[in-house]
Amino acid sequence: MFRSVLSIFFILLVIVLGCKKDDPIIPNEEEIITSLKYTLTPVGGGNTVLLSFKDLDGDGGNSPVIMSGKLSRNTTYLGSLELLNEQESPVGNITNEIEMENKDHQFFFTVSGGLSLTVSYDDTDGNGKPVGLKTRLTTTVASAGKLTITLRHLPDKSAPGVASGNIANAGGDTDIEVNFEVNVE
Amino acid sequence: MWNKLILFLVFIQTSIPVVLKGQPCNLVIRGFISDESTGIPLEYATLFIQETKQGASADSLGYFVIKGICPGEYHIQISHLACETENLFIHLTQDTFLLLRLHHHAELLNEIAVHGSREDNSSQIINSLSKEDISKSSNKNLADLLEKIAGVSLIKNGSGISKPVIHGLYGNRISIVNNGLIQGGQQWGNDHAPEIDPFMADHLSVIKGVGALAYGGNGLGGIVLAESNPIPADPHLHGQANYIFQSNGRGHTLNTQFQRKQTWASWRLTGTLKLLGDHRTPDYYLTNTGKNEKNLGVQLEKKLSPRWSSRLYYSLFDTEIGILRGSHIGNVTDLEEAIGRSIPFFTRDEFSYPLESPRQDVLHHLLKLENKFFLHENEVFSFNYGSQLNRRQEFDVRRSGRSDVPALSLKQYSHFLEGVYNKSTAPGRLLKTGLQLTYVDNTNNPETGILPLIPDYQSYTASVFGILQQEKNKVQWEIGMRYDFKDIDAVTISKSLPRTIIRYHPVFHNLSGSIGGKFKFTPNIQLTTNLGYVLRSPEVNELFSSGLHQGVSGLEEGNPNLNQEKSIKAIVSLDASSHQKLFFQLVGYYHSIRDYIYLQPQPEFRLTIRGAFPVFSYLQTNAILAGTDFLCSYEFNKKFKWTSKFSFISGQDRSRQQPLVYMPGNQVQTDLTYSPGDRGHWSNPYFTVHGRYVFRQNRFETGQDFLSPPDGYSVFNLEGGTGIAIRHSILKLSIQLENVLNTVYRDYLNRLRYFADETGINANFRINYTF
Repeated sequence: MFRSVLSIFFILLVIVLGCKKDDPIIPNEEEIITSLKYTLTPVGGGNTVLLSFKDLDGDGGNSPVIMSGKLSRNTTYLGSLELLNEQESPVGNITNEIEMENKDHQFFFTVSGGLSLTVSYDDTDGNGKPVGLKTRLTTTVASAGKLTITLRHLPDKSAPGVASGNIANAGGDTDIEVNFEVNVE
Repeated sequence: MWNKLILFLVFIQTSIPVVLKGQPCNLVIRGFISDESTGIPLEYATLFIQETKQGASADSLGYFVIKGICPGEYHIQISHLACETENLFIHLTQDTFLLLRLHHHAELLNEIAVHGSREDNSSQIINSLSKEDISKSSNKNLADLLEKIAGVSLIKNGSGISKPVIHGLYGNRISIVNNGLIQGGQQWGNDHAPEIDPFMADHLSVIKGVGALAYGGNGLGGIVLAESNPIPADPHLHGQANYIFQSNGRGHTLNTQFQRKQTWASWRLTGTLKLLGDHRTPDYYLTNTGKNEKNLGVQLEKKLSPRWSSRLYYSLFDTEIGILRGSHIGNVTDLEEAIGRSIPFFTRDEFSYPLESPRQDVLHHLLKLENKFFLHENEVFSFNYGSQLNRRQEFDVRRSGRSDVPALSLKQYSHFLEGVYNKSTAPGRLLKTGLQLTYVDNTNNPETGILPLIPDYQSYTASVFGILQQEKNKVQWEIGMRYDFKDIDAVTISKSLPRTIIRYHPVFHNLSGSIGGKFKFTPNIQLTTNLGYVLRSPEVNELFSSGLHQGVSGLEEGNPNLNQEKSIKAIVSLDASSHQKLFFQLVGYYHSIRDYIYLQPQPEFRLTIRGAFPVFSYLQTNAILAGTDFLCSYEFNKKFKWTSKFSFISGQDRSRQQPLVYMPGNQVQTDLTYSPGDRGHWSNPYFTVHGRYVFRQNRFETGQDFLSPPDGYSVFNLEGGTGIAIRHSILKLSIQLENVLNTVYRDYLNRLRYFADETGINANFRINYTF
């Protein structure tokens, strides 16, 4: 009896060790945001400035590529944000997803480190609250510092200051938080 | 109350008569009633035969006799002051001697892992909970019940998800054994609560020593056993129904159990339904912390021949658990903001039952077939098969309607095959040997659209063990060895583009050994000791996890080069009593782990589109854990009993000269129980005051966590209950008030402590009807 039990065990062990785990199906990461492009067009003509952040392989892997820019003094720019999933082909357009759910999303533009410029909203969602895909950026004197663009999912747009662009009371979850070194010359 | 009983009995024949039909009614039942944990005779315990209305009281030495009974089948009620009335069925054919053991001192229960079988009367240091303790609190999670045991704490993810911590270790280092099978799906994730319905367990025990070698797994830190009792040989339908309402969360728990011995088989059927809504702290609702759960258990037992008995056990566990909405965060900025808030974001002012994301949906099937062959009087061979299927889906708050698409979707199935041979080679000597094969297959469903944190894998384990137990005079010895061969076939996906598949194939040889002894110096002093060496091979998450760990705001990176952890644990338990009034149990342990695997935050942050994230890598160090558990019980008189427990633990990273993180704080618990005794129809009324103080974890260095450990806290509970005898059945009513003072506190081992307070006052109303 023991001999037969032992042989059953060994036969099973050999069978099982011969199996190989199948290759996994690589998930289609359609939700991922790989790239953010903030295009600034001066009102009344001039050079368009592009601030961009691109991380094709998502979290981990290679480091992201960040392009910063130089802005001119005393100028108003029309800002336009574009979000892409460049892992997909054709490239996935996340901007449309945000536009469709504009009540659930808001971008915030925060300056720090001595940078002197202001960003105001130039669009509204279905409730008349700002979204931030379209903005107006105004520079005054020469300065340099950091511009942080944050995208919050499900923020409380009615909380004090949020509609005017103050992130402090917004809450929600952060989907994007990127920093750009900006020079105003 | 703990001095309820699980009672079990051994029939010893006092004469060898031939039983004839129509035999005159002159049979005699004699017996002896003692307390299971202390062996002390329970004087004046009463027995009552329902069919004949005959009764008897035990004398001052615990002996009783009932004379003049006809042959037949009888239900006997056994009761003792401050013990619960329990029914026993016997088929009387001849003069019989009953050896009855009640749990009068259930708080001291520390010996028996598996009831009724001498072979498991090992020298391990074990603490258990009785059936009554379990079923009274079965609206909670399995792990929550174990917190009553000194030396056990909980690691939680809110009120719905908890895992046991034994002597400071948890997760991969604790094996949870469900009816002899290591619970699958428990290897990774501190937010994976054990998929076991407490109602299915007649018995819950914690083995604190290492090397409960017959179970294997990676139980380097201890083992939790959840077991169901054999079905009693009673040909009548029996069972119970439980309903528990809890005020905090407005929860309803409904459970029914039926069992019967029939000619085709003995069967037991258990079913549980739970519905819970949002819990509440003293100040606000914990939005989205409800739960709904459906569980089913089936147990069949059959003696196929005089030498072959068979048992089939199946359980289904299906749960959906909400996770505090405000604990869902996107990056470190969100976490820091959440820590600074007094009320979590997304907190709603009203109560609700429906669950939204983030939530978990878990389905677990477990099947076990056991066969026992009695080869000779002293030889038993068992052949067991087990299979588990665990399907886990975790839903996150996502864009564009994707909240209904799981962010994590895993399917794990496993097969287990075991042959165990037990032989009593000489009186008092038992040899137990076994062979085991385990196969696990884990697959991610690509529906998530997210790269998986844990890769797809298969693992094979082949194990062999041998344990020798010897009992002579007042000394009991045990020595055991175990070897596991483990082969992992993991298939990971690269982090860089283009995505490629990388295969890993690590192989481990784990050798474990343990030696233990139990010495009874005098009837009042007993020393139990165990020394164990265990090799634990790294689990798949430690080797290969890669990606953002949900909720912890960190990128976790596995390390394929990890070695095994080498652990030595020495544990000593001293049990002593004085004048049958004062009892104490002192456990001391010292646990040294070489190449202890832990998550080390890396100095550099990694930049992603959601900001910079800290990176945590799995590294190894040398760790020491040491501590004591102390339990003391004093009976002022028959009506008042006081129990206190204290546990102290210290964990140190020896290589880096700093404390280990997430070690439970020291704690002290105390209980005072008043049991006035039966009053008319009221059977065993009782009233208990319970207090618990958890000290702040001061062994902590800044930078080890996002937030320093919270302050110490005390929580008080009140409990009262009674049984009401209704003919042959009993109705039990009880009320538990938890956190009576509505204290605001946070616990260090609750991950949601970054976001919210613990739950406030709660009342549990329980009705139990046993027939």
